[in-house]
Amino acid sequence: MLIEIEKFYRRLNRVWGKMLSVVFLLMAVNVFFDVIMRYSFHNSSVAMQELEWHLFSIVILFGVSVSLIDEAHVRVDFLYDRFSPRKKALINIVGTVFFLLPLALLILFGSLDFVQDSYKIKEISENPGGLPYRYLIKGMIPLSFSLLIFTAFGYIVQNINILRNARPQNIAPQQHETLEESK
Amino acid sequence: MIGIIMFCSALMLLAIGYPVAFTFGSVSIFFGILAAIVEIAPDVSMAAISKEFLQMFSMMPFRVYSIMNNTILMAIPLFIFMGIILQKSQLAEKLLESMGTLFGRVRGGIAVSTVLVGTMLAASTGVVGASVVAMGVISLPVMLKYGYSKRLATGTICAAGTLGQIIPPSVVLIVLGDIFQLPVGDLFQAALYPGLMLVALYVVYILVVAFIDRNAGPAMPAQDGTVFVNVRKALIAILPPITLIVLVLGSIFMGIATPTESAAVGCIGAMVLAAMYRKLSWQVVEESGLETVKVTAMVFAILIGATAFSMVFLYSGADSIVEEALLNLPGAKWTFLFLANLTVFVLGFFIDFFEICYIVVPVLLPIATAIGLEPLFFAIMIAMNLQTSFLTPPFGFSLFYLKGVCPPEVRTTDIYKGVVPFIILQAIVLMTVALYPKFYGLAQ
Amino acid sequence: VLIASPALAAEKVRWKLAMTWPSTLTPLASPAPKLAKIVSEMTDGNFEIKVDGAEKHKAALEILDMVKGGQFEMGHSASYYWKGKDITTVFFTSVPFGMTSDEQNAWLWYDDGQKLQEKVYSKFNVYSFPGGNTGVQMGGWFRKEIKSLDDLKGLKMRIPGLAGEVFAKLGVNVTNIAPGEMYTSLDRGTIDALEWVGPGMDIKMGFHKIAPYYYTGWHEPASDMQFLINKEAFDKLPKSYQTVLKTAMQAVAADMLSENFDASAKAWEVMKSEHPNIKVMTFPPEVLKAMKKANDEVMEAYAAQNPEFKEVYDSQQKYMKKAREWSKMSTQYYLETTEAIAK
Ligand code: NA
Ligand code: NA
Repeated sequence: MLIEIEKFYRRLNRVWGKMLSVVFLLMAVNVFFDVIMRYSFHNSSVAMQELEWHLFSIVILFGVSVSLIDEAHVRVDFLYDRFSPRKKALINIVGTVFFLLPLALLILFGSLDFVQDSYKIKEISENPGGLPYRYLIKGMIPLSFSLLIFTAFGYIVQNINILRNARPQNIAPQQHETLEESK
Repeated sequence: MIGIIMFCSALMLLAIGYPVAFTFGSVSIFFGILAAIVEIAPDVSMAAISKEFLQMFSMMPFRVYSIMNNTILMAIPLFIFMGIILQKSQLAEKLLESMGTLFGRVRGGIAVSTVLVGTMLAASTGVVGASVVAMGVISLPVMLKYGYSKRLATGTICAAGTLGQIIPPSVVLIVLGDIFQLPVGDLFQAALYPGLMLVALYVVYILVVAFIDRNAGPAMPAQDGTVFVNVRKALIAILPPITLIVLVLGSIFMGIATPTESAAVGCIGAMVLAAMYRKLSWQVVEESGLETVKVTAMVFAILIGATAFSMVFLYSGADSIVEEALLNLPGAKWTFLFLANLTVFVLGFFIDFFEICYIVVPVLLPIATAIGLEPLFFAIMIAMNLQTSFLTPPFGFSLFYLKGVCPPEVRTTDIYKGVVPFIILQAIVLMTVALYPKFYGLAQ
Repeated sequence: VLIASPALAAEKVRWKLAMTWPSTLTPLASPAPKLAKIVSEMTDGNFEIKVDGAEKHKAALEILDMVKGGQFEMGHSASYYWKGKDITTVFFTSVPFGMTSDEQNAWLWYDDGQKLQEKVYSKFNVYSFPGGNTGVQMGGWFRKEIKSLDDLKGLKMRIPGLAGEVFAKLGVNVTNIAPGEMYTSLDRGTIDALEWVGPGMDIKMGFHKIAPYYYTGWHEPASDMQFLINKEAFDKLPKSYQTVLKTAMQAVAADMLSENFDASAKAWEVMKSEHPNIKVMTFPPEVLKAMKKANDEVMEAYAAQNPEFKEVYDSQQKYMKKAREWSKMSTQYYLETTEAIAK
């Protein structure tokens, strides 16, 4: 059961990862396009320029969850490296419950009013010709932190599985994934 | 006081090894509650505490949103992506190998090349993180492949990647210009020579270390063929990636793109280059994109944790303690310079440069003016000092960012030990700036 | 027996105020700390206001939300930053071809201005009061001379707000540039022009070294700053504190206008002597006329869709007619005649 949950999270994470990767590429092309339009065609669209940071925001906000499952967040590892996989898993479980979840919950609930205020007054860009629906991008804050909270449970399950010795060893998830597939 | 305890607690909790970003966040929450109790004492009740605390933390969404629409930060993923594409297409490897080959039997060639490439990237960005990560992706694998010691390799990358702060354009200098009421252009100009001095010292240091310790930075394996043939081969390999860097820099200097946008020019350019060498496939692009997303999110998560940390740090009244202490600094030039620099340096452990600039500098500035210090000179000293604070263990941002892109066998401690010599070099340059400002054109 | 009379039993009040500007950015950052000092001294230290600059709260452009949400009881900002939330807020800063600071103050305090401001801001549950004024802002720094309307076509310029909309209508390529990249972008020609504030603040940015043409203003003739106050917090204050606060706000608002006038006059003297090559220019009449026409179109389009906008716009336009007559008879003719005999 727990193994199934872990696999589900892994699959989901790959979907998010692919989507965000595309969003990032769109952002890069967006910036490049804006440069060319301004320089070669003397034609800037403020909406297009704002789209740049909208895409950027989506990448960074939702990417936090993808990085969590894929173990891409930085640790200070001089002690951590010497711990056994079980001890590492325990640190991750305790850390997620006491460190990650409270922060994510605080930001999630703190941002609800912020988004609602923006929605109520139908906030738009303050720049001439900018993007409308400012509350959509502000709404990404509670959405992404909800995803982070949801992902945190997957991360806990992943580490419980290590504790239960349900996985052979704690190998990097991406490798794990490809190993499984190559079988 | 709470500030100092907070710092020590963060230090201990970080050592456990849970991800840095969330550890920062949780320390902030804990001390936020504590600060809330102190704030409302003596009428302490659960309801009052949670109200005060939630009030403080309800600032977080605003801070997160400020990070989101800080368009200068877009340079971070763009530079990372450019770096990853160059690495995956093996163009970066060829570039550094060839530059290394040009050094012949002289050891440390790849590290020196890394510093030179880092210098060029520094001239096109001013955002902490962007060039450190890009350099980490580009040159760390190559240095490790050729048997460089992890310390020399990581130290070089951190130092070279942080050059962007002092070599214009630089966000730090722009903020300082505002506070010092100095034209940004003057600061850019004034920072150039100390920046280049750093580059020179890095190069000399690498060559000396590699010369003394033959395992620190081995020379490239000997090539068959005549020197002429090898040099020609190297130059041909260097040409395309150098063209790319020139393209990025050129787009800024020719007024085509802003520094941030130039990074996007670099991304597209890197993909075109990779395509020309038939190394580009959708899979490479997508994998590079995914890696970019993860590393960028890692950086962003640290920014969130750090912003929560500094929010609580300031809320607990640490800023007014610092301000009061600074007001009592002695008026003698050398003691003042020493203590002022020490303060900035130590605060660099706790809070980010923006806060240091606006909290500390306005207090120091009138004293400095009273002593008769040239504002331009003092601004450059602060700027150099701040760039060192990005590198200082245990909280230097550059260190975390580099760790985020290191292979697992490189430990945090390798990086910590690796940067120490470079911090000393920076201190030396800082001292020469203080002693011989004329040499750098910072005094009449 | 000594019993303190109720009037003397002073209530302790501690407020926080968030500014849009970093604490060092005078004169914009001057009114709030001065306000805090006056209020504290007038209440014998019983009403304290702690002022946080942008370097502390890190949310420069979220002041309205933070005051509304109660994170801060007060804010110091500029009304037109909330253009995206409510377009009508622009009138309480300054609008292109609008009133001078004398005219605007008279409109605010002795005509409908302040009443309308309170009405517009009531939907945010905050009060907004005038909080200082920059006076006439300069039209910006240009790398090349604007001789005709054609020179505006395709010109790459950083200019936000209504002025940006007006310029966009005239074919200007209005571009967003992060403040941190303005200098490099202007220097390298990524943009051809930008507008900032006036000599007092522009001098620090060093634009005069990279763009020789300094155009006179048209778009922000009297940019008012604002104090925002959380409605609930203000209504809870004792009557005497409310009066102290209101009086202090008016005092520091007037003070900032003088401070900035002084700063600009002095900065300009320095700029002129150190950089005699700066060319102060006015846009040619043809260009100004086109700007005025475009501006009227922009304003009327907004008025057509937004009754509240129309109400404030009409009030300003009506008042300006009266006030301008007097401005001309008094200030303008005085300046013209005294300048004429000086020659
Ligand atoms: Na730089
Ligand atoms: Na302006």
